[in-house]
This record gives sequence, structure tokens and C-alpha cells, in this order.
Amino acid sequence: MCNQVYKDLLVSYLYDDINDMDRAKVDMHLRACEECRTEFNALRSVRVDLGSWAPPLPDLGFRIVRDAKAAQTKRASWRSWLTPAAGLAAAATLVLAAALSLARIEIHDGPDGFSVRTGVSASAPEAFDGSYAGARGVPARDVYLASDEGGVDLAGISRRIDALESALKHAPQSRNAATLNARASDEALIKRVHEMLAQSETRQQGELALRIGQVIRDFDNQRHVDLQAIQANFVRLGDNMTREAQLHTDLVNFVTNGAGKQK
Amino acid sequence: MASTDEELVARSIGGDLDSFNQLVLRWERPIYALAYRVIGREEDARDVCQETFLRAFRALGGFKGQAKFSSWLYRITLNLCRDWIRRERRQPLAQTPEGVDLVELAGEAEDTESIEELVARKEIGAAVAKAMALLPEEQRTAIVLKEYHGLTFQEIADMLDCPLSTVKTRLYQGLTVLRRQLERSNVTRLKDHHV
Repeated sequence: MCNQVYKDLLVSYLYDDINDMDRAKVDMHLRACEECRTEFNALRSVRVDLGSWAPPLPDLGFRIVRDAKAAQTKRASWRSWLTPAAGLAAAATLVLAAALSLARIEIHDGPDGFSVRTGVSASAPEAFDGSYAGARGVPARDVYLASDEGGVDLAGISRRIDALESALKHAPQSRNAATLNARASDEALIKRVHEMLAQSETRQQGELALRIGQVIRDFDNQRHVDLQAIQANFVRLGDNMTREAQLHTDLVNFVTNGAGKQK
Repeated sequence: MASTDEELVARSIGGDLDSFNQLVLRWERPIYALAYRVIGREEDARDVCQETFLRAFRALGGFKGQAKFSSWLYRITLNLCRDWIRRERRQPLAQTPEGVDLVELAGEAEDTESIEELVARKEIGAAVAKAMALLPEEQRTAIVLKEYHGLTFQEIADMLDCPLSTVKTRLYQGLTVLRRQLERSNVTRLKDHHV
């Protein structure tokens, strides 16, 4: 390029990040200077090549979630004297009761053992510190935060954090309890299903026997009716044959008598 | 209607974690791409990307909206990339596959692209990655921000805390080096053959 000023202008021109006056200046220069025109075309070709370089597309799925353990430890230090233990327990019970009654509970058997997740927790990642499926169906990559990080307005969400803190304090026990309850509930459910299946089978067998008996009876009745009809037809046929034979006899007698008179 | 970055930032500052995670979802790919192109390593780029959002969340209270949220994220990412390069004291690694899997490539082909053109594009991309890895960090960063993220020269200058003319010079020098590198490789011949 002719000089440094033109180099800067050429780059601006190359990316079309240039004002009209400078663009006209470069246009004019490129028409006149073959060396700069060659260079410009070469740089434009490099830009085309750069378009071929694409980064890989990994499943990222980052998500910021609060670290429940850190939140519990840090806040416990200044809240333990502030909140009576009985109140804390009551709050935990209330929160857990509300969560269990309102949320859909999902139990997953993963490599880390059983985990319990509620429908509410799926949209509120700070509820539990487990991992969640990403919104786009890819494994989420959670980024854990202590709850006081980020300069967010803690005062505004203080009550919510209180409730969550209480819930999280009892989360492991609750989780185990929920898992055990779920197992017991599963066994009862399976037993109940077996009973219902057995009852259903018995009922179906009874209904089948009744239907078979009905079919047999219907068949016998129909057979009886058909036999009677056949019998009646035989009788009628016999009568017809008797009548025919009588007519034939009468005809023979008539012919015989007629022949005797002619003689 | 989707919320703007500014709206999501405001809600995030107010303590709404979901809003911040929407920002993460919106910007994770550009941030990852920036980190990958600057440091050239997939796993490290992923770590830089994650750290970027973590730092952004921590510093969210100090974000006054004096710049675009994306520019702010880019600046954090570039600082982390710079730290990584200094810490590792090594040039970016151009990670390119050893061979070309035609079956895998076929799935990536665009409608109007033949498999030969796709192979050529992949090879050009690999050559570009190698050539970019040879550039000084400043030139590489300027090219990445301009070429792949469409920032204006002024935005790049603000982000890198340098004069506008410096950005243009870095771009010019970087593109000139790339041109020489690509001409030396087989890519030019291959490209001329296919295009």
C-alpha cells in the first residue's frame, strides 16, 4: 500500500466501516493503483477464508445456581442467634410441606443414587444443589455461587432466602425421608396393582364362563328349533308323497277301468 | 416478546437468577467462540466461558450500563484469555482433526454444498486456525472481534483500551500475515481447484 494512512483506510474500506468521503478516496485510489488493488483483493480473499473457520459446538448449558451448602454455612453464623431453633424448625416444616404438596415430585435413580426433584425446583435452581437437565435438552453445567455473591439485592429477597435456608438445612434428611417414603409407597403400589390385576383376571374369567355358557345355550336352542323345523318338513314331505301316491293309484285305476270298458 | 439484555440485567441486579441465566443462554455461544478463537483450546475456552459468566454475575452490581452488556462480557472474556495466555505461557493451539470423516462431514453440509466443497471448506478452516495461532495476541484479538463478532473499530478500540488507528494497524498487519501463511499452505491451490 502506498502509505500508512492508506493502510488504515484500506482496512476500513475492506470492512465497509468507513465514511463516504474516505470511501470515495479509496475507490479512486484503487482504480489508479494496481499494487493496492492487488493487495485489496488478496485481503478480501483472506476474509473469505476466515469465514471457513468455525469453532466446535460443544454442549455448554451453563447455568448459575446458588451453592446451598455455602449459603447455609455463611448465613448460619449470623442468624443462629437471631432465629430461635423452634421457629427455624417450624419454618422448615412449613416450607417442606408446601413444597411437597404443591410440586410434582420426580424421583431419579442415577449414578449418584436416588435424588428427588420437584416441579418447582426445575424452575428455581436455587432450591437444591443437584444438577438439572438444561433447557435445551442438554446436560446442564451449573456454576455454583455462594448466595451473597454478585452484589444482588439480598434485602429484597431476604424472606425467600430464609425459607430456602431452612429448607436446605433439612434437605438431606428430607430427601432421604422422601426416598424411603417413595420406596414404601412404591411397594404398596405394586402390591395394590397385583391385587387389582388378580381381581380383574378373576372377574374376566367369570364373565368369560358366563358368555360361553350363554353361547352354548343359544346354540342348543337354535339346534332344537332347527330339528323341529326339519321334522315338520319331513312330515309335510311324507304327506305330499302319500298324496302323490294316491293320485297315481287313482290314475292307474282309471286307466285300467277305461281299458276294460273298451274291451 | 423476548426481553432485552438491559431488561434482563436490571432484573438480575434485583436478584432474579433466572434472568441472568437467560443472559447466559443468549451469550454463551458467542463468548465460547471468542474464547476458543483467541486461545484455541476447546476445554480451556469452555472454562474461560464459564468463568466469564461467573465474574459477570459477581460484578453485576457494578455494571452501570455505560457499555453494552455484550461488550462488557467480551471485555471480561478477553481479560481472562489474556490471563490464560500469560499463565500458560504458550501460543494458542490450533486444534484440527487429523483426518476427515466424510460421513460426519456429510451431516454438516449445507444444502447447496457438495461434499468436495465441504471438505475444502474444512481444510481451509484448519489452515486458518493454524495461521491465526501464529499471530500475536493483539492482532488475533482484533481480527476475531472484527471478523467474527462484527464490532466496529471504535468498539474494539474501547474494549482494548487503544487508539482507533492501532486497531486498524493490528488488523492490517494480522491480515497480511494470514495472507502470506495461507498462500504458503496448500489451501490456496485447493481452493482454486474447487472454486
